[in-house]
Amino acid sequence: MDLMEKLTILTNGAKYDAACTSSGADRPGKTVAAGCCHAFSADGRCVTLLKVLLTNHCIFDCKYCVNRSSNDCRRTAFTPEELAGLTIEFYRRNYIEGLFLSSGVMRSPDYTMEQMIQALHLLRYRYDFWGYIHAKTIPGASPELVRRLGLLADRVSVNIELPSEESLRLLAPHKKREAILAPMKQICLAAGESRQEMAVYKKAPQFAPAGQATQMIIGASPDTDYQIIRLAAALYGKYALKRVFYSAYIPAVADSLLPALDFKPPLLREHRLYQADFLMRQYGFGAEEILSEDMPSLNPYLDPKCNWAVNHMQEFPVDVNAAALETLLRVPGIGPTSARRIVVARRHGRLGLAELKRMGVVLKRAQYFIRASDWPSGARFDKHTTVRALVDPNVFSFGTEQLSLFPGASSLRQLPEAGEARSVAEAVEETVLCLASNL
Amino acid sequence: MPGFKPLALPANVVYTYDGSFEGFLCCVFESVYSRELPLEILREEDAQPTLIQSRSVATDPVRAERVRASIRSKISERALELVTTAFCSCLAQKELRMLEFLLRGYREGAKLCFMMGDDVTATLLRAEKHLLGEAHLLKGFVRFADVGGALVATISPKNYALPFIARHFVLRYRQERFMIFDKTNGAALVYQDCKAEILRVERVELPEISESEAQYQALWKRFYDTVSIESRENPRCRMTHMPKRYWENMSEVCGLLRPKAE
Repeated sequence: MDLMEKLTILTNGAKYDAACTSSGADRPGKTVAAGCCHAFSADGRCVTLLKVLLTNHCIFDCKYCVNRSSNDCRRTAFTPEELAGLTIEFYRRNYIEGLFLSSGVMRSPDYTMEQMIQALHLLRYRYDFWGYIHAKTIPGASPELVRRLGLLADRVSVNIELPSEESLRLLAPHKKREAILAPMKQICLAAGESRQEMAVYKKAPQFAPAGQATQMIIGASPDTDYQIIRLAAALYGKYALKRVFYSAYIPAVADSLLPALDFKPPLLREHRLYQADFLMRQYGFGAEEILSEDMPSLNPYLDPKCNWAVNHMQEFPVDVNAAALETLLRVPGIGPTSARRIVVARRHGRLGLAELKRMGVVLKRAQYFIRASDWPSGARFDKHTTVRALVDPNVFSFGTEQLSLFPGASSLRQLPEAGEARSVAEAVEETVLCLASNL
Repeated sequence: MPGFKPLALPANVVYTYDGSFEGFLCCVFESVYSRELPLEILREEDAQPTLIQSRSVATDPVRAERVRASIRSKISERALELVTTAFCSCLAQKELRMLEFLLRGYREGAKLCFMMGDDVTATLLRAEKHLLGEAHLLKGFVRFADVGGALVATISPKNYALPFIARHFVLRYRQERFMIFDKTNGAALVYQDCKAEILRVERVELPEISESEAQYQALWKRFYDTVSIESRENPRCRMTHMPKRYWENMSEVCGLLRPKAE
């Protein structure tokens, strides 16, 4: 089998992994600390790293995975030399920022990890490659191998795969929750130790300097958004994760336990989860503020921040000339950048709407929630106007996507077909009425 | 601006200068000392004969240095940085916008840079953001081809971004020889023997690519096509993140720009 064919097969096996970021490693020139996208594929996802599997041979039979052992597909593996050569040549032409290496489980988790370590070692020490490396650990591999992998890679990640233990037992019978959480804890501790050692001695070996990440599949199991968000918050808090990635389930293989093959991936739900995730990481929201037991699903029509705002109207309007940074961050239409700009700029003069607009505040949403030097000029807005301005126009471009597979998880009716201008307008009106009456 | 007497008053005159940053600083000198705000500041090659009085401002290193020092001491270091960056941007009438900013700055001092909602500052900040944003994208979108051991790339950005990506690529390819040719601005960053410089170049003739180079381009194209998930296809999203004006220089997508005429 020639290199072209191998690359095709092993890329196909790896493409469902969500993470493709390269942020966090600071080696000037070799990596861009803030991350750097080298291309965007036809699905709009960024291509930063050469995302491939070392092999797609697998002894595990996870129901949702293309590489499951019971799936009849062509199997192959890179030799460490082939992989290193490819990485170096791509990196040299500025196609990629580094390597994202995952793998199917060949023979045993330990054997596979050894193969991965061998490939990475070759790359780092024989070919002197100091670009970014993101490596996936194999669940069930021994701690010593995880440690060696962490010393070679910039970021190490363990896929949590499914949001609850129940779903994991059902769909990934070979993976145990402990086998996932144990290495996560180990990586968290080792990275902490390494940072401490480096404070004392600059040349101390770096363990996963860009931290760890994880990903879970959305929509293959009946878990609610509330469970997912709570889990993510716990992972950020307990294991100091840098990122949690959510990947909408895309049917790759048929199974009676899974949604049918013609099931459309829940892209809107994935999008809302990422929005909620950003609220937790960069806007100072808690998981409990975004969702609760009584309201376990994210609102498809409003983004989570707007949703929080319309449900907490008593907190508004916020005076942009006086409010604290944390309060500004909670206003729809004001993001971290514009909030920081407001705090700096207001020391040198009072801010009106024109100034806010020039600073990058999205007044379309923010105007209902702020008080500026020349605003509001007249009476307060009614709820209908507010909600109409906040309804996410993108929601209808997602088309007739099923929001939740499992009855009871969501009571929303199907969204109208995109393109039908009249029905979209009607749907907006209906949504506005419905949301406004709920307030 | 209430409370401040403007340094210069609008006058019916057009300045022309040689296109260098020093030349621009001399225009600032001229404007302040003759107390006039010109209608327009143009590079000599862009100037066209009009009925409006035009004045050619000579570049004088001593005057330029005086203006540079005055920006540092009377406004701030950040103001100098902002003006230097904005000078490389593609902002329309950038010289005039920068002059307006400096004239206000001489009156109001360091705080002008923090008045991010103010029109003159916001205009320059937007231009700076546009330039730095483009430079960041280019760090990813530059595609090198191996030509006889040296790496060669072509870019066609809107701004003059070359000085802002030079450091990154020099650090990344310290052991290599490379050239990045900027088609829009007629300049090239050339790095060899551990020395980098930006040269004025109008055209670059590239030799045919070798077989192994074609092989790697094909491998990359295959990877790029394969890594996309069909059921998530979203061309609009791709275009938002990777605007089409970059595609002509990227081997994996340039084929999509001109579908073959059958």
